[in-house]
Order: sequence, then C-alpha cells, then structure tokens
Amino acid sequence: MNPATSAPVLEARKLTKCFPGVIALNEVTFDLRPGEIHALCGENGAGKSTLIKTLSGIHPFGSYEGEIRVNGQPAQFTTLKDAEAAGLAVIYQELALVEEMSVAENIFLGNEPRRGPWIDWDASYAQAARLLAQFQIQIDPDVKVRDLGVGQKQLVEIVKALGKKSRILILDEPTAALAESEVEILLRILRDLRASGVACIYISHKLGEVKAIADRITVLRDGSSISTFDTASVEIPDIIRHMVGREIKELFPRDRNTPVGDTLLSVRNLEVAPDSSSPSRLRDVSFDVRAGEVLGIGGLMGAGRSELLLHLFGAWGERRAGEVQLAATADPNPDPQDSIQRGLVMVTDDRKRFGLHLDQPIGFNLSLSSLAPVTHLGLVDEARETQVNQKLFDALRVKAPGLDVPVGGLSGGNQQKVVIGKALMTQPRIVFLDEPTRGIDVGAKLEVYQLINRLTAEGKAVVLVSSELPELMGMSDRIVMLHEGQVGGTFLPEEFNQESLLAAAMGRSKPSAPTNP
Amino acid sequence: MTATASPTSPAPTRTPLSATAIRELTMPAMLIAIWILFAVLSPAFLSPRNLSMLMIELSVTATLAVGVLLVLLPGHTDLSVGAGAGLLGGIASVLIFKHSWPAPAALALSLSVGVALYCGMGWFIVKNRIQAFIITLGGMLAFKGAFWLVIQSTTIPVVRGGEQNLYSALTTFYLPPTVGLALAAGVIAALAVLAIRSRKRRQSVGAHVPSFEEAYLKTFVAGQAILLVVLVCNQYQGVPLAFLILCAVAAVVHVLTQHTPFGRYLYAIGGNEEAAVVSGVPTKKVVIVAFTLLGSIVAITGFMATAYAGASTTTVGDLMELDAIAACVIGGTSLKGGRGTVLGALFGALIMASLLNGMTLLAVSPELKFIVRGVVLAFAVWMDVKLGRR
Repeated sequence: MNPATSAPVLEARKLTKCFPGVIALNEVTFDLRPGEIHALCGENGAGKSTLIKTLSGIHPFGSYEGEIRVNGQPAQFTTLKDAEAAGLAVIYQELALVEEMSVAENIFLGNEPRRGPWIDWDASYAQAARLLAQFQIQIDPDVKVRDLGVGQKQLVEIVKALGKKSRILILDEPTAALAESEVEILLRILRDLRASGVACIYISHKLGEVKAIADRITVLRDGSSISTFDTASVEIPDIIRHMVGREIKELFPRDRNTPVGDTLLSVRNLEVAPDSSSPSRLRDVSFDVRAGEVLGIGGLMGAGRSELLLHLFGAWGERRAGEVQLAATADPNPDPQDSIQRGLVMVTDDRKRFGLHLDQPIGFNLSLSSLAPVTHLGLVDEARETQVNQKLFDALRVKAPGLDVPVGGLSGGNQQKVVIGKALMTQPRIVFLDEPTRGIDVGAKLEVYQLINRLTAEGKAVVLVSSELPELMGMSDRIVMLHEGQVGGTFLPEEFNQESLLAAAMGRSKPSAPTNP
Repeated sequence: MTATASPTSPAPTRTPLSATAIRELTMPAMLIAIWILFAVLSPAFLSPRNLSMLMIELSVTATLAVGVLLVLLPGHTDLSVGAGAGLLGGIASVLIFKHSWPAPAALALSLSVGVALYCGMGWFIVKNRIQAFIITLGGMLAFKGAFWLVIQSTTIPVVRGGEQNLYSALTTFYLPPTVGLALAAGVIAALAVLAIRSRKRRQSVGAHVPSFEEAYLKTFVAGQAILLVVLVCNQYQGVPLAFLILCAVAAVVHVLTQHTPFGRYLYAIGGNEEAAVVSGVPTKKVVIVAFTLLGSIVAITGFMATAYAGASTTTVGDLMELDAIAACVIGGTSLKGGRGTVLGALFGALIMASLLNGMTLLAVSPELKFIVRGVVLAFAVWMDVKLGRR
C-alpha cells in the first residue's frame, strides 16, 4: 500500500489538554498512516508525552477536548486497556516488566495461552521463543527479566507489545538506554514491522536515528506549534530549529581553556565485585581526575561504566584490590554520605530510581543532600532553606510553577535539572555525571554542557559517563574507554575519533589494552 | 512532561487543591458523624466525665500511634508494640509491687529496657535487611511470653495497697482547673509568637508567606480548640496528666518529623530508599533511631495502659499494635512509607478511641465491637483511596 494516500489509522483532531495552570496541548492535530514510521520530536515539556498519554487512554476521554479517531472511527478510550483493545500498544521509557518473572511470562502477561482453564506453559515458551527468533533477538525465554540488561529488557518489552498483535505501536524514547548494536536490532525490527503494515509513532531525541528510520517527522513545540515534514525533505538542523524555535550552532560547547589543577581523585589497579560470592566486574582500573578537567568514560553497555562510578561513590560493590585516593587521602571503604562530605557527588543515570523522590516537592529534593548548612540547633531553618533552593531553582532555570510542585510532574529535562541541582548544592569538588543528558532535549542538553563548563571553570572536576560517542568526544578533556570491566584505552582530544574509541570499547585497540582471555 | 508551565506564566495554582481539601475534611466529618451518632444514642457520651475518660483512652492509643508513625514513615512496621507495652508496664509493676522500688526508678529502668529492646530490633532489621514485619512479629510473640513470665501470669497492681505513686498518677492525676487554664494560655501565646516569628523570618529572606488573615485564622482556631479542651476538662476534674503526656509526645514527634533533617530522612527513606542512599542519607542510622524512639514511646504507652487498668495483667496491650497502625492509616499514613503526619495519626486515634468508648457506653457486645472497628478501618482507607490518593 502507499502510505501517502491511504486513510490514517490513528488521528488526533484539535486535541487540547489542560493541567492546573498549564495548557499542555493546544489544538494539536496529528495523523498516523498505515505502514509508516512517524517520528515525534520536541523539547522536554513540548507535550509529546501528554499527546501519547491522551492517544492511549491514560488521560481518559472527557479530560481533553478534541477528537481521536482510530481507522476513521471516533474513539473514546477511558483506560489504556481500551486503547490496547483497539490495537494500540505503548512502550514507555519506564519499562513495565515484572522483574521476578521469566521473559516468556512477561511477554504473555495478561494474555497467557491457555488450555482450558490452565495456562499452557509449553505453548507460552514455544511462542515466546518463536517471536524472539522471528526478530532475531538472542534472549532465552526462560531467563528472569531481572537478569537482563536494560537494552535487552527494552527488546523484550517490544516483543511483548507485538505478542498482542498490535497494529499501532507507540515507542517513547526506545533507544535511550540501548547500546549501538541493540539500536541496530531495534531499527531492523521496526523496518520489518513497517513492511508488514504496522504503523508506528517513534519518539526520540536522537535526531540521526529519526532521520534514518522515519517516513515523516512531526515536531511539537510548547504544546501548540506543530509541523509535520516528509523525512526526505528536511535536514537535522531544520528539525532542531523547529524544536527550539531558534538556531543552536554549537552542539558541544566544551571550553578546553580551563587550567588543569591538582589531582583530586586517583584510582590504581581497582578490582571490584558485585558481592563477595560473584566474580569481579571491574579489573585493574587506573586513572586520575584533576581539578578543572572533564574525564569522559565510555564503553559498551555492561562494560562497567556506571558500576565504576557507583563504586567510587560508595553505592555499589565490594572492593577486592586496588587503591583509591580522594582529595589526597585514602578512600578504602566509601559510602555515599562520606563521599558527599568529602566533596564527591554523583548524578546517576536512572534519575527516577536513584535520583528523585517523585512524590515530594522540588524543594524537598533539592536540599535533601545539603540539610546540614541550613540546620540550626537541630531544626531545619525553612526560611533559609527556601532561599537557597530558590536561588538554585532560578539559576538552573527549572520550568515549574514553584518549589512546592512535586517533582514527578516535571518533564525529563527539568527532573534532571533538579537531580543535578541537588548534587551541586552539596558544594562538591568532583561531580560524577552518569548519562546526564539521557532522554532530555537539545536545549536542556546545551544547558547541561554549559553547566559542565562552569563547574570546571570554578576548578571542579567532572567525570562524565556517556554512551553517545559524539557527546563524549565533544565534552571530554580525556577519555577512558572501558571494555568488560577493564581499561580498553585512554585518549587525549587529538586522538579522539569514533573508530579508535569504539575499537577500544570492543577490546581491539593497540595502546595499553590488556589482552582478553 | 505533564505539569510544566511555560516560563512566562505566573504561578497561579499549586497542585490540585480541591481534592486534597476534600480529603482533609473527610476525617473531621467522619469524627463529627460518629460523635453525633453516639451523642444521640447515649446522652452520657458527651458528659464531662465520659469525655475525660475518652481523653485518657485516647492518650494511650494516640501516643502509641504517634510512635508507630516514626517507623511507618521510612516504610517499616512494628507488630510488637502491643506486647512490648504490656511487658514494659509489667516490669515496672513487678519492680514496685514485689521489690518495693520507688516508682520513678522502676519507670526509668523499664523505659531503658524499652529503648534497648527496640534499638536492638531496629539494628537487627537494618543490618540483616530482614523485613520489619517478620522481626517484629517475632518480637510480638517473644515479648508476650516474656511479659507473662515477668508477671507470672498473675495480676500485679501498679501501687502497693491503695497508696498513690507516680505510676498510678499517670492516669489518675488531673491538673487543677486554674493551672490548666494558665497552661492553655501559655501554649496559645507560644503558638502565636512562633507563628509571628516564622512569618517575619520568611519575609526577611523573601520567601512566600501565606496571607495574614489565613495565618491569623489558623492560630485563632488552634487557640480556640485548646481552650475548649481545657474548659471541657475543667467541667470534670481538670486536664488529665495522660493527655499532657500525649501532647508532649505528639509535639516532640511533630517537630522531629517536620522540622529536622532526621524527619526529612524518614520521608526520604520511605519514599525512595535507593535515592535516599545516593543522596547521602544515613538510612541505617535513621531507621535505628526511629525504632529507638519508638521503644521509649512504647514504654510510656505501656505505663499509661497499665496504670489505666490499675494493674499489670496478661491482657494489657492486647491488639494495641493494630489500633496504633489503624489510627495511622486512617490518618492518611501510607504503609509503603513516605507519607503521613502526626496530626493525621492523632485524628485516626481519636476516631478509633471514640468508637470504642461509645460502643462500651452503649454496652455493645465485644463481638460487634471488633466487627465495627474492622469495617470502619476498611471504610476509612477506601474513602482515602477514592478521594484521589490516586
């Protein structure tokens, strides 16, 4: 069939959705044709998630104005279940898998193959294996989801949606947590699906990917201004301009002129295991971090990047060997509280899990790590606390009505600003940033980069973990690539290029890479 | 991406207000309904004497509820507090009655036993990462057995032959009317001064302050309520000492939870423990301290409950843990942790205590009493969920 002429499978007409004090969507019109991949782009807070939630019944019929049509018929979804019955499947950034269940159980959860009143387990596993094989995903359906990596979980989630025979697939940032190779698999699956007539809404901040896969691209700004392009007729800079309403010239504005100072953190021959009964996950890791520099740490999924930071911060693993010096004194057995007191703070990659108290107000989150300075005679001086919070809130330009708004209602970029703000309020000397720009838009990314520059200009050190090589190369003064828990190579800016970094990440580089058994 | 405002828009609304307002009003409405019902069915319910007794019963339930709140907030629980209260009350009774200890010394020793026991339990739960439910279930059984051993499964009066001591005074002493009034005046004045000071402080740093009318009204209503309580008490014998103890415990826990880093950490641990750890919250220490504080409150409750019964018997403390948890939950506390307030727990306890007192007054059979309390608990939580806790 020809996507350009066929009637839309999903259509939104003049959708308007308000929240108290905010108009999230203002007369948005959008259509999805059968057998197309339609990308949805926009800054955080532009209304992408709200649009998806409205289309899929999470914001029920009656809570919005306008009309939704599926296959030309008006649809009035009051729950996600209604939307699923109509053939929609939504795959969210936050995965909805049951960790303690097997892959097969998850795929058929709520939809189990039956023989009479009983679940037909044999059929479940056989069908799951067939589905996985069909998409060339090498995951054992018997394995518990808990034991999978984030990327693999994402793939399972997609297979689960396909197991429901959905004809309309909505993917919210599906590749945010995926490694390069897994992104390839995902994009291949989506192309196969497109060929079989499944229509797909694809939300992503990775514009390169969007350009590569989408048939059409819709850019949403401030919940109202909306423009749709044929992918062939638009270039990435145009998309960015439509997203932010202005031109962003420098994508990675690293200022490399900051003078480098003393060594603040020194790691020698570090070996760490998850617990006393497991094999080591990090081996023979050595590096230094100096004041005023950004040390980039790269590697594939599972190379141990996050684990390394978490361990040095004191939140993961058991040290088997090696020495760590923090601010010129030994740091044998760190815990987060000590680390923060000694000037080391960490922004983790999973902000919802490790970063935020979603039910609590912004103010509560910002000052949680820094109550001591505003505590007088054992009591928190709320007036001063508010003052300090407000200063940071303004400086980071968090978009929210005020400090007493719960963090859970903010967009990803604004949540990330709150997590970073909480870290900065502790007055650190070293800041660990683990994927600080994951799932946030171009404008917010730029603000994070500028913040990194400001921190190093103040003589602080930043350790940046990122799975996006351009970001890593653009923002680091030095890059350590990890390969299976070991240093695969260390690079200076003049040596930065994607090929050699990737080679080091895969354990195939020349300089100083220990051979792998 | 839902609730972001464009940077130009002012901040007109906070989160949805109407739903919270309704939710906050349901509890008082429920309480008033219960009171009207009992007042109609039995005029004696609102008599000064009965109200005074209700206050003492409330003091026992509510003090324990406020203590349990401390461990519910960080997402733990404690099933052992009823048996613990019986045990600690029993230890003090035995020391006084059988070993002729002076009451203050006996109470002090028993209190320290409570602190040590609960500190130990908290430490065990945290260090070994075992669910509090299991450990405190074990505690409940062990404390019950220890309790019966201590009192030899007999009845041990709190005081020797008809005398008065500090122990029995806990539930028999009343403040003289004039002292009660003076105390009320002092508390109201202190509240007003605190309110004004906090306003000035916030204004001086440019923070948001509620309108003067709103602040004045709040203080005024609080003052009226305090005065009313004292006047009603004075109709009978004065303000009961037990009620003052409740007020003191509640005030301390309120300040701890709302105005100290420790309190913030309780909410942070209950809301998202992993994020709390990464934020540098000393999670283990905080939970151990919460259990330790609970230990002292369990002891105080045990003393009051035993004194109210007049003697330590095998049934003192029975099912009190469930009343305390129920009071917290009716008052809006989440059993998953991270949400709940002292004021809510007090309201919940008042509902539970009023129900029990009124039904006793009406000579309702014990069977029916249990059923009614169970239904009210389920109903209160159902209302709470319905009214937009999500």
